[in-house]
Amino acid sequence: MTTTTTTLKLNLGPQHPSTHGVLRLLLELDGEKILSCEPDIGYLHRGMEKMAEKMSYIQYLPTVDRIDYLAGFFYSELLCRIVEKALEVEIPQKVRAIRVMLLELNRISSHLLWIGMFLMDLGATSPFFYTFREREMILRYFEKISGQRMMYNYFVFGGVRRDIDYLEDVDEILSILPSKLKDYENLIEKNPIFIRRVVNKGILEKETALNYSITGVNLRSSGADFDTRFQDSLYSGFDIGKVILKEKNSMARYRARILEIKESMKIVRQALDYLKKAPALEQKLINPVNMKLPEGDYFADIEAPRGIASCFVRSYGEKEPYRLKWRTGSYYSVNLLRKLLVGEYLNDAIAIAGSLDIILPEVDK
Amino acid sequence: MNYLYFLYIEFLQRHNIPKLFGDITYYFIPFCIIAIALLVVVLGLVLAERKLLGFFTQRKGPNRVGWWGLLQTLADAFKLLCKENITPDKADRFLFNLAPVLVFVPIIAALGIIPYSAEFTFVNTSTNVILYLILAAFPVLSVFLAGWASNNKYSLFGAARSIAQVLSYELPITFVILSVVVLASSMNLTGITLAQTSKWWFSGWFIFPGILGFIILFICILAELNRCPFDLPEAESELVCGYNTEYSGMRFAIFYLSEYAMLFANAMFISILFLGGYLSPFGKYLFGSSFLIYFEQAFWLLLKASVIVFIIIWIRATLPRLASFDLIKFSWVYLLPLSILNLFVAVIIKFAGAGG
Amino acid sequence: MDWNKFSEVFANCELRGSKILIKSRLHDVIKFVTDNYPYDILKEIIAIHNRDGMVELVYNLYSTVDEESLLISVCVKDEAESIVDIFKSAEADENEIYDLFGIKFKGHDNLKRLYMPECWDGHPLRKDYVQDDTRLCWNDDNNDNA
Repeated sequence: MTTTTTTLKLNLGPQHPSTHGVLRLLLELDGEKILSCEPDIGYLHRGMEKMAEKMSYIQYLPTVDRIDYLAGFFYSELLCRIVEKALEVEIPQKVRAIRVMLLELNRISSHLLWIGMFLMDLGATSPFFYTFREREMILRYFEKISGQRMMYNYFVFGGVRRDIDYLEDVDEILSILPSKLKDYENLIEKNPIFIRRVVNKGILEKETALNYSITGVNLRSSGADFDTRFQDSLYSGFDIGKVILKEKNSMARYRARILEIKESMKIVRQALDYLKKAPALEQKLINPVNMKLPEGDYFADIEAPRGIASCFVRSYGEKEPYRLKWRTGSYYSVNLLRKLLVGEYLNDAIAIAGSLDIILPEVDK
Repeated sequence: MNYLYFLYIEFLQRHNIPKLFGDITYYFIPFCIIAIALLVVVLGLVLAERKLLGFFTQRKGPNRVGWWGLLQTLADAFKLLCKENITPDKADRFLFNLAPVLVFVPIIAALGIIPYSAEFTFVNTSTNVILYLILAAFPVLSVFLAGWASNNKYSLFGAARSIAQVLSYELPITFVILSVVVLASSMNLTGITLAQTSKWWFSGWFIFPGILGFIILFICILAELNRCPFDLPEAESELVCGYNTEYSGMRFAIFYLSEYAMLFANAMFISILFLGGYLSPFGKYLFGSSFLIYFEQAFWLLLKASVIVFIIIWIRATLPRLASFDLIKFSWVYLLPLSILNLFVAVIIKFAGAGG
Repeated sequence: MDWNKFSEVFANCELRGSKILIKSRLHDVIKFVTDNYPYDILKEIIAIHNRDGMVELVYNLYSTVDEESLLISVCVKDEAESIVDIFKSAEADENEIYDLFGIKFKGHDNLKRLYMPECWDGHPLRKDYVQDDTRLCWNDDNNDNA
């Protein structure tokens, strides 16, 4: 009798507890060792780019929050920035401060959710609830401000929808968060099982990361000094701390996000201090009715929680953009899985894929 | 033959039923009683776990069905009972249906040999520690059957992991139990319990000479039960649901409930080996020599088991899952040598004690 | 980026704003740029179906050292050179452009429909794409094609 060994094809997803949405990974396995990984996306495609070509800018604005439901502010900021750039409108200082504060709060909430999801992937259930508890405070605040918990539609062309309020809530968030982060440190980071699951796992060299167009926290935790916030005119005048880690592994990606939350809190504090003293909002909004962008190509990019997000618009002076393209960070992270998961074992692979912070609506657009 | 048996025969004879009938039926009755008691305990246990996890993660837990959510598990079980039993097309129908049946048998048998109090042991053999050991390892067979027969890759992975896990952790368990047997000079669970009696409160419990063994056994039991942090066979984030992915309706409920039944059985087993079983921690019983003493003894056993269960649930709320290779390595590299060392320590304590 | 040196090596190209327009030899241009200048990241490839019927591909290169970006633009009809061997991230971009614009990339051996079903005909972001609602229903004919 002869025996033949064959590899096993495993469909991880599209409906699977740890793919954070509807990602399908076609894995080829030898035992539990992964020989190849082929991501298959598109289960959540909503045609955001095609849609833009049929809509005026103001019609399109409420939909862009849906590109990344965890960090909606970043995408509406991008579209607003494109329009403001094209029409050469300068936004007032107070609007800038409001936007920075909300963006950074949004980044904190997004990272908090990631921490919970990552630990969930590793099999620890409690941190998920703890980080959701803290995220809830931020979402409540967003709800008070914009009337929505996730799809805000608060930034409008040339400013914000209404003046900022409930600043004492932000004060409370900033006072509570540090002690909670300390709790996470005690619960998670000192746990020997957690350390064994993340240290030396999912090593991502800086060169590989750049070659795969990985940006944001994932790149910075591989030792690269690259943060577009430093060149961003929106952030000018704010003191931003650098978070660069050299370890390149899942642990570094975890640590970097915790540190980034701390840095974001400092930025929020600066914006908050300014806003508390600032006079009532005076802004000149762009009239969006029949608004036409002058002919040309427009670029805008921003440091979103999952890497650089950017928007490109080509306009021919019409009400609708001729072509609108989004660049999202997660899209490239999914592509990286092809390389990063090969040679890993199934349960490490889940942890590594989780550490990259992939959000599927962002991938599928 | 014990007290219960005579009680039963006496009851039958009072109603003019022949002794032969009693001899035959006696062995079925305990299993019926256990099955019913088990269901109640397990339903309570599932609720307790959900409540405790809710407490640990700052949620409320089930609180809608019945007062304090007490009927929640009953409602869930009823819901599962009403659901359709789906057998996948390409599954091995016979084995697929056999697995959930098989999983309950060893658990009920295992509960039958546990001494709940001085006289309440349904089946009392002289070497029932060994019997328990075999019965406790038995459910993995049905786990394997379920995983294999489902014709699902996730189930297969779950079953394979489960087998690897039980194979690695069975050996340290055996060595730890052996050390207890040496300390107690008995292979009978009642004998082991009685060997832990002492004059001063709980000083006679084997946890004091055998703290190392207790810890090893506790870890191994976690692994055998597929509980966190050793829940790889049913790792939700990796294998969807592990070996019972394809099961639905009542079959799934049986797997689910049997897990909890096994959890409680093993918790009682640890309590008997190391925490003095049904012995009172105060050295003397509150109900002196009345008939209630049997209930008090059962109460102490259940209380000790509940504490163990609480710790297991607590661990689940705290720890992430081990990596698959660490799991195997942990057993062979750390637990096995330590359990052998523990056996030596037990032997030395025993002989030093006997000499002195 | 030194424009003079660049135009010496590659004739037949044009600088417009911050964008270099090239006619051909895309792979060579990208290779030259990445070899000689510290452009280490390909931020994205933007495809635009122009009014003249050509598809314009804009390669957005970025240097994390100098913190400046470079746009290289090429117009293609339905086939382009792949740069997967230079930037791995192009694998994802080119696949997306294949799906939405129908550009075949020579040298990319893993082109497949990404967002659209395998049986979908037409590439939705092209301006000559006809919206045909019958394809939106998932009927058995479609499944057979897949």
